[in-house]
Amino acid sequence: MLPLRFARRPGRGLASLAPNSVNPYNVFDKSVKRLQKDRAALKNNGETSRTVDYLRDEIADRLLERFEDIKRKFPKVVDVGSGAGHFTRLLQPETVGSVLMLESSEKLLHRDSENAFNVPVQRIHADEEDLLQVVEPNSMDAAVSCLSLQWINDLPGMFVQINRALKPDAPFLGAMFGGETLFELRTALQLAQVDREGGIAPHISPLTDTRDVSNLLGRAGFHLLTVDLDEIQVSYPSMWELMDDLRDMGEGNAVSGRRSFVHRDTLTAASAIYKEMHGNEDGTVPATFQVVFFIGWKQDPNAPKHVDKKSTIPNAL
Amino acid sequence: MSSTTTAVERPLRRLAVASTTTCASQASAYGKCIVATYTDVRKDTCKDDFLKFAKCVQSAVRRLFCRPASILTAI
Repeated sequence: MLPLRFARRPGRGLASLAPNSVNPYNVFDKSVKRLQKDRAALKNNGETSRTVDYLRDEIADRLLERFEDIKRKFPKVVDVGSGAGHFTRLLQPETVGSVLMLESSEKLLHRDSENAFNVPVQRIHADEEDLLQVVEPNSMDAAVSCLSLQWINDLPGMFVQINRALKPDAPFLGAMFGGETLFELRTALQLAQVDREGGIAPHISPLTDTRDVSNLLGRAGFHLLTVDLDEIQVSYPSMWELMDDLRDMGEGNAVSGRRSFVHRDTLTAASAIYKEMHGNEDGTVPATFQVVFFIGWKQDPNAPKHVDKKSTIPNAL
Repeated sequence: MSSTTTAVERPLRRLAVASTTTCASQASAYGKCIVATYTDVRKDTCKDDFLKFAKCVQSAVRRLFCRPASILTAI
């Protein structure tokens, strides 16, 4: 506890933000997110983290399909928020020269050895939102991001930085959780908390919609946008296994101003509501993950206006 | 793999087994009550059903809690 004289010292007025206060560009607690990812990657020597790779691997695969539709060679690629390299490990030396993996969790970044990758990788441990401090502007032939942008605080700024890091006419491909992801868990926890405690606290992150993504990409200077939403439904024995897996993926709740615990009664109630409201006939419960896939191209000021760039748009849709 | 043998390592795991397996019928009754009223849910809408459910969970957790202790003393 602070002595009163400290609390009353003049000149502290502007600095005295309450610890739980939320400003518009500080949605997530980044240090907590880094800790969660570190812990998840360390658990059981990384084995636990590898068991729950099923979702990331599937999405990385779908993103790769879109990547391979671009018939080009990419000498230098940056993977923003690479995690353990789920996407990077799928890249082949025929099309990709080298990859810069940028990840805020050091343990997750170094979870897998060099042997896991087919292309040379350079791992940089830094906050994704400081991209331009570690990457030269106009230096990358492509940027990718697979399932990490959902934890970025300043998404408009992030897109602008990625745009600057790219060479003109270079593509940016990404996948992020968005839309109605985990709506079953969200509604079950909300109903349980209202019934048990009489209020609501954030348990699931605010998520980005496809519309938001295309608006933000456009604002950041990308053009020829392709944005689509893909849905994956995973069945779990119960809400508890879903929550275990989310934690092991490093995808636990990191919303700023969240409560540090969930009451036991609320969790118990939520598991019953989850099953009764959303449960499958075979007794399992579904969890919906919606993933926003997008491709945008950095504008090339020197490109003649009449060039038909449609030939370079991937026909993924 | 029986769920009760692997379930007893962590407190939350015990709660999970108790609330989904051991007390499945009470859980279902409580869930049904919420589903029936979820358009106008407020505090303690389904208090009675929850209390029955919670009572079952509590005693189940306690039973599960005793098991690893006896294993430990045996070792």
